[in-house]
Amino acid sequence: MQSTICALASGQGGAVALVRLSGPRALDLLKSLTHKDGAFAPRQQVFCTIYDGGNILDKALVTYFQAPHSFTGEDVVEFAVHGSSYITGRLLELLCQAGATPAQRGEFSQRAFLNGKMDLVEAQGLCDLIAAGNKSAHQLAMHSLDGKLSARLNEMKTKLAELLAQIEVRLDDVDEEMQPLSPDFIRQEISAVLTHIQTLTDTFSVGRLIKDGLKVAIVGAPNSGKSSLLNALVGFDRAIVTDICGTTRDTVEETLEVNGQKIILTDTAGIRAHALDVAEQEGMRRSLRAMEQADVILFVLDAARPLSAEEKQLWNDIEKAHKRTLVILNKCDKPGAVSTVDLPHIADYKQLSVSCKKNIGLDEIKTILTAPMNNAPTDGLMLSNLRHYEALLRAQTELESTLIRLKNHAGGEIQAEHLRGALKYLKDLLGEITPDDILGIIFSKFCMGK
Amino acid sequence: MFVCNKIYDVVVIGGGHAGCEAALAAAKLGAQTLLLTQNLDTIAQMSCNPSIGGIAKGQIVREIDALGGAMGRVTDHAALHYHMLNTGKGPAVHSPRVQCDKKVYQFTFKHFLELQPNLDIMQDEAVCISTSDHGVDGVLTLRDTFYKTKSVILTTGTFLGGTIHIGTVMTPGGRYNDMPSNLLSKNLSKELGLHLMRFKTGTPMRINARGLDYSKFRLQPSDNPLQPISHFTDEHEQQKRKFLSCYITHTTLETDKILRENFQRSAMYGGNIHSMGPRYCPSVEDKIKKFPEVTSHPLFLEPEGAHTEEYYIQGFSTSMPEDVQRALIASVPGMENASITRMGYAVEYDCANPMDLYPHLESKIVPGLFCAGQINGTTGYEEAGGQGIMAGINAALKVQAKEPFVLRRDEAYIGVLIDDLVTKGVNEPYRMFTSRAEYRILLRNDNADLRLMPHAFNLGMLEDIYKPAFEKYRTLCETLKANPKAPVTDEPDLFPWSVEKAQRHADIHRKYEGYYERNKKDAEKLAEIDAIKIPEGFDPSTVRGILFESSVKLREVKPQTLGQASRIPGVTPSDIQLLAVHIERFRRLKNAKKTA
Repeated sequence: MQSTICALASGQGGAVALVRLSGPRALDLLKSLTHKDGAFAPRQQVFCTIYDGGNILDKALVTYFQAPHSFTGEDVVEFAVHGSSYITGRLLELLCQAGATPAQRGEFSQRAFLNGKMDLVEAQGLCDLIAAGNKSAHQLAMHSLDGKLSARLNEMKTKLAELLAQIEVRLDDVDEEMQPLSPDFIRQEISAVLTHIQTLTDTFSVGRLIKDGLKVAIVGAPNSGKSSLLNALVGFDRAIVTDICGTTRDTVEETLEVNGQKIILTDTAGIRAHALDVAEQEGMRRSLRAMEQADVILFVLDAARPLSAEEKQLWNDIEKAHKRTLVILNKCDKPGAVSTVDLPHIADYKQLSVSCKKNIGLDEIKTILTAPMNNAPTDGLMLSNLRHYEALLRAQTELESTLIRLKNHAGGEIQAEHLRGALKYLKDLLGEITPDDILGIIFSKFCMGK
Repeated sequence: MFVCNKIYDVVVIGGGHAGCEAALAAAKLGAQTLLLTQNLDTIAQMSCNPSIGGIAKGQIVREIDALGGAMGRVTDHAALHYHMLNTGKGPAVHSPRVQCDKKVYQFTFKHFLELQPNLDIMQDEAVCISTSDHGVDGVLTLRDTFYKTKSVILTTGTFLGGTIHIGTVMTPGGRYNDMPSNLLSKNLSKELGLHLMRFKTGTPMRINARGLDYSKFRLQPSDNPLQPISHFTDEHEQQKRKFLSCYITHTTLETDKILRENFQRSAMYGGNIHSMGPRYCPSVEDKIKKFPEVTSHPLFLEPEGAHTEEYYIQGFSTSMPEDVQRALIASVPGMENASITRMGYAVEYDCANPMDLYPHLESKIVPGLFCAGQINGTTGYEEAGGQGIMAGINAALKVQAKEPFVLRRDEAYIGVLIDDLVTKGVNEPYRMFTSRAEYRILLRNDNADLRLMPHAFNLGMLEDIYKPAFEKYRTLCETLKANPKAPVTDEPDLFPWSVEKAQRHADIHRKYEGYYERNKKDAEKLAEIDAIKIPEGFDPSTVRGILFESSVKLREVKPQTLGQASRIPGVTPSDIQLLAVHIERFRRLKNAKKTA
């Protein structure tokens, strides 16, 4: 049976992102993520809530295409979700946890071609695409992975391969002279690898922030100084400023780099209770969406002005977003500026006094924003690629199964099944490990009779 | 020159374990077959150890047996001692091994061959394979007889350019005192263009049991109850026979010292042998050299026959000179006063690169030429027999213009063996291990019949009289797998199967159920890409975008299916994706041309 594959089909960074899922289990996975048992009519957009366990991940437009009437000729589901890298990343993660596998480069098109959905001319383009992927994947294997990460992965692979060899050599021991391996030894070896895997997978969320950039939404009431904050933050390092202008009625996105870390700032339209016209309403709608997509929210207040009803309402929305939030008490240089405000649960949030004019507190904002990215382990080992992350999670499951089976006194042939599984996933990351490699280890380390 | 007026379908050159199975299989499928051997009295000779089976090898014997081969039946007939290996481990790795009476084994096999319709046996040495534009067309022998044939199976064992080494003494020989086949070797490399390599293997000394001190050995009695290695042997009748014991002893520090002092005098380390020997099944000097920290190695005394006092000493393979071999024996507890009857020796021989073969064992260089056994770089009677039966079947199928018969890696150890040989090649003698099989849970001793007999019936390798009993057994197994307590009664027409066998199988299956399904699922994925044939006229190595290293490998291996291509070391998943698209593209373009 064909596997069910998933990947981000649109580029990263737009307001809407398209995640595509193709294969025989596509509809099952859609139902399980939307908690909907009912039928999805083919080729009809449905507005659904996507769940992450008990929580809501996003509200999205979902379209189900029934085989063979789809891009790939298989059952396909397309999720039009909000374009935050968190949402798309998490959605792919959830799909993979439910049984999908991340698609290879060009795999959707390959399936489309093989299922007769593409003609020969298009196929050439497809071949070019895979070929390019082949080269870059190869380069990745040869160069990019050639650093500390590949060293660590290799270390884990070697440890597992050696453990497997110790188990295999006993299965193939004709002399029947070898002592069985002690379960404690096996447990200890596997646990050591599991610790490494855990450390690596823990870096994944940070790794992705570093790769895709930290999304920061600047929100607040009109005239609280959001745009000047954006200008002040970006202007501090002019070299990387690309575009400053934009209408306050729309969101403005700017990228800046702090200590080599990418931050994507979004300035939003001011939010007020009674928008003047349609354009402003639309601007405010976008502001709310920017907030949903952000990794961090900067809530900007005029420290010299009492809290307005709009600001209190906005605070409500911010709290609901469940995002890391900084409360910026702007214009702290003005007389009468306060250093704390009174809002519900404010004690749970960091408040910062800032003056864009006098350059107070700006560095601190940057430091606080990039802090989680600096939480990256000091050895520089970091996972940012979903495929790598998935492969490690699967290896982890196999290893945990070995430990469980070991507890139930399973024999070497069963332990070997799981270890072979775990090695297969590491192999995904590092190139082939064949039974010959295992035999090589066996013969270099053990004296075998006939 | 005498030209034999009969035109053969298949001529098998060599009467060892591969050749005998090949000849039987080809003849069974109706091919007019000739088996050529230098010496009829050494046909199916067990040149090394007196046992058949072993870990992973026992499974191969079961597979040969299920495919309608003779090795298993002959083994049970010649059995002196049964030992199921790995019983301390899971049933997926249980492997039968049977000590045999060597003489009984070879004469029984000879008798099998003599009784086989369509099979002629002739004592003569092949010296030249004749070819025309279409491939093989005849075989010339040393007596200057010419046999016309449509195909040839080479099963030359260690005889091609064979050289025997005992210390620094070198003598020509395929086996001690048996002449090598030097003319044929020249013909293969110079005239037919095969790529020959040189491999090495060895055998230990034999001793006379008279003078052994058994009190210093550990007894290894024959299994009781026993499990016959052939599916067709009556388990309970076999149980009634008398069996011999084996004995276990160990090398000592003195053994170690003798070997160390004489390293330079062994053929291996003295510089006379440059060819690749097996890492497993190493000579005892190899073991001491590579594992200096191990000071005591086990030795197994195995009877050579029921009517002889000779023992084979498993674990003592050596190419040391005679005086050292004598001292070695005296250094072992219980053997102090034993006398050697035959010296251990090493043998070097020519084999041909198996990557020049298609998965059905036919040469890519010479159409109609098939190779099986040690000539393909393997070692072991079982590995030889497994290839032999496949080569025999495929030579017959080719002559009959039928599709080749290839076993997949998830179907049989034989499938793993041949796929490894033709896809990855060999750089040392290849022996089977369970760790070579990715689908170890599927390839078991207890299910060889269920795995392979359907193929055997389809091919005509098994007589139809077994079919009703087999079908009954298969149904019984399914019933018991689903419900172990299902009411079943033994029926006489189930023979050679029994309720007991079905229960044994069902129990094992249930133990592995989850893993079995998982293996099966992986195997299905493999079957999917294995079903994609690389079409004629399509050269995968020329596909743009394929990595350079991969295209070199693809040119070398010339894979037959996308699956085979994917198993070539170094070929990436992207390469395979690219190939899949190009193969499909190639096919469509061709179809488009046809319709236009």
